[in-house]
Amino acid sequence: MSAANGIALEARDLTRIYGRGSEEVRALDGVSLQIRKGEFVSFMGPSGSGKTTLVNLLGCLENPTSGELDLAGRRIFGTGDVLGERDLTRIRRELFGYIFQNFYLIPTLTVRENVALPLAFYRKPGVEGEVESLLGLLGMEHRMNHLPGQISGGEMQRVAIARALVNRPEILLADEPTGNLDTTRTGEIGEILQQLNRSTGLTILMVTHNPDLGRLGGRHIEMRDGRACEA
Amino acid sequence: MNPQRGLPSRHLLLLLPLAFVAAPLPAAVSCELNNPAADVPRLFPESTSYKTLYFSFASRGGDPVFKRVVSRLAGVPALYAPLDVPYTLYEIYKGKEKIGYIHGVNQKGQFGVLEVFVSLDLEGRIKAFYLQRVAGSWGNKFTARKFGTQFVGMTLKDFATFDFIAGKGTGRLAAVINPAPEALTDFLGVLRALNKNLILMDEFFYSAEKKP
Amino acid sequence: MISKFQIASKNLLRKKARTVLTLVGIILSSWVLVSLLGFNRGYEKALNRDIDNMGYQVMVMAKGCPYEAATMMLQGGAGLRYIEENVAKSIETRPEVDKVTPILMQAYFDPNKGDGGGIAGYFGVDLATFPAMKPFLRFHKGGWFKEPEAAEAVMGYEAAELEQRDVGDLILVPEKNVQLKVVGILERTGTQDDGTIFVPLKTLQKISGLDKITTIGIKVKKDADITGLENALYQLPDMQVVSFSQVKQTIMKLIATARVMVLSIAVIALLIAMVGVVNTVLMSVLERKHEIGILKTMGAMPGDIFRLVWTETLILCASGGVLGIGLALGFARLSDLLVRRALPYAPGGELVAIDLRLSATTLLTIVVVGLVSGMYPAWKAGRIRPLDSIRSEA
Repeated sequence: MSAANGIALEARDLTRIYGRGSEEVRALDGVSLQIRKGEFVSFMGPSGSGKTTLVNLLGCLENPTSGELDLAGRRIFGTGDVLGERDLTRIRRELFGYIFQNFYLIPTLTVRENVALPLAFYRKPGVEGEVESLLGLLGMEHRMNHLPGQISGGEMQRVAIARALVNRPEILLADEPTGNLDTTRTGEIGEILQQLNRSTGLTILMVTHNPDLGRLGGRHIEMRDGRACEA
Repeated sequence: MNPQRGLPSRHLLLLLPLAFVAAPLPAAVSCELNNPAADVPRLFPESTSYKTLYFSFASRGGDPVFKRVVSRLAGVPALYAPLDVPYTLYEIYKGKEKIGYIHGVNQKGQFGVLEVFVSLDLEGRIKAFYLQRVAGSWGNKFTARKFGTQFVGMTLKDFATFDFIAGKGTGRLAAVINPAPEALTDFLGVLRALNKNLILMDEFFYSAEKKP
Repeated sequence: MISKFQIASKNLLRKKARTVLTLVGIILSSWVLVSLLGFNRGYEKALNRDIDNMGYQVMVMAKGCPYEAATMMLQGGAGLRYIEENVAKSIETRPEVDKVTPILMQAYFDPNKGDGGGIAGYFGVDLATFPAMKPFLRFHKGGWFKEPEAAEAVMGYEAAELEQRDVGDLILVPEKNVQLKVVGILERTGTQDDGTIFVPLKTLQKISGLDKITTIGIKVKKDADITGLENALYQLPDMQVVSFSQVKQTIMKLIATARVMVLSIAVIALLIAMVGVVNTVLMSVLERKHEIGILKTMGAMPGDIFRLVWTETLILCASGGVLGIGLALGFARLSDLLVRRALPYAPGGELVAIDLRLSATTLLTIVVVGLVSGMYPAWKAGRIRPLDSIRSEA
């Protein structure tokens, strides 16, 4: 799937409601936006503002209650059908890579094995050698045979980034990627993301509380009470 | 008449031949007391407890010891066969103190095996003689008290002056009266068994205890 | 590259103690299961072999209370009932019968045997017919008696060893004081023959002052109707018939209840071990909820996760099963000894017979039961949604 007209994704009136009746919570309230290929977008806002919910919907981690989403010109949400887990997985593995605040590396696998893990389930054509090349790119080739318990937090997040990119996704979703890191490591990760964006044209959607990190991207979207506005 | 189809009775009938041979069937090759709980107090009245040990040439020195024993048996092991078998020794205690041993050996008799036991003090002196098994109508002559008491007080030294092949000699052993002249084979068998018994005890235990 | 199998096995290494404990459960239950199945096979085989080694399938003897006879035998003295020799001849003419052999059993009290005396038993056998009934009896030394009335004896291996008799030695029949010369010593058979002293029938009859016999051994023709023969033999006055196939059935029935009970215990042990497996894998799934959610973001389908977790179950059950069966094979002799001590009657030979086929069947059973048990945790893992695991962390 490649972006049509340079637009990576387009959302219209995305709404997500949790609960029922008097217990209803509108986590997202009719959000519309467009993201171009190669953009680095930061989503910021206080807790409960809906930024994570929005990014989860854009990343096809769940179905919206209503609204439409197009990815690379193809209608994903808003067709009238609710997508099942298998369908969502198929879409995710084609287009997205994910990194989170908790690195979620498998403790009994080496750095190399952790990066190669997605390939055990799905492998795009042409990704041979991607493991070694990513480890080199992220400066982790000397730690290839170490276990996660033997490396630092910053190194673990690098490994997580390499793992997220091993199947050459078009879009990287980063949910509070530096939430568990100190200032120095935060800066390092920020630089890496910026570098990836500039050198490879990777589209990045990042949720963050950190204003310094938020400034790295070319575009900011402020979230408040389930609504979005460009900063 | 209804045929007998009692199932347990059939089972028993099949086992009937077993009854002939299964009831007291002592150990196939080693010489053990039939009823140590009763035999030990009778053969060693001062005892309060006993321990059972098992030994053989393999476990106590191997071939060099075996050769030494054969030479002590005047180089005629066939007279004393079988030699290379497991042996059972009863260590006798009074309280916590060891006071002696009871040891038995098998010896070929005229009509069956001779099982010859002695109880010994810590100096190797015979305190009691017990013939547990003998086949032949003269059996009770050899199991009688009168015969066994002749050996009380003897040590290995008393056996040194006797020729076990010829069946003659001097000293205390030569003075022992044969209660059944018609059973010369068994009489000599008993003497040879005692000789073997004492030599084995000396070789495995008394000499070993004396070593520094 | 890393395979799903490698991921599964490395997952098991995360909590080594828990994995080892679960494995121990499977090992023990596999060991017990295969040993018991081996016993089921071995016992029947050994029993059949014992009966085959008897040489004849049916025995006829005089009617009388066998309990009384057996007790009197054990205490020495008379008590046996006798049959006329010509009965053997008449049975031989029957169409189902291949061969017959007359046997006289006698016992004499020996005051010098054992504690307070014991009985010495002798089997008087017919030179013309008995050896032919037992062609598999081999001699360690010597051979059968030369003459039907010779003052000779053939001893079983253990009987000779016990009395230190060799070919050429003499034995004495107690009470009667008759000397017999040992002309043959049999090789070990692992049956009652090892402790038996065989004497020519006529010789024993002369010693006992009888012209009768106690037993007739009957070898039945191949494919003959044994039941029909037995029914006919029951009609003989004052006779009882012992059929070894019936004895075998009796013995098998006697132990059948025990076998079922013990086998049930083994099955329960296996199920308990499987509960342990399910618990271990389920706990591990719940602990790895977040990771499993992340695997889904990496492209793992629900089926992939199911197979991954199921593979962990497979590894546990297969390794535990193989080790348990290996231990059972290694300790088969010890199991044999323990079973032999526990049973009132144990035939000779291998009682716990574990072969490759039985091992494979047991392993397959363990693995299948394990996989069925493992379906629930695997299904649960497959259903984890990425967002549930991420959200629950936030």
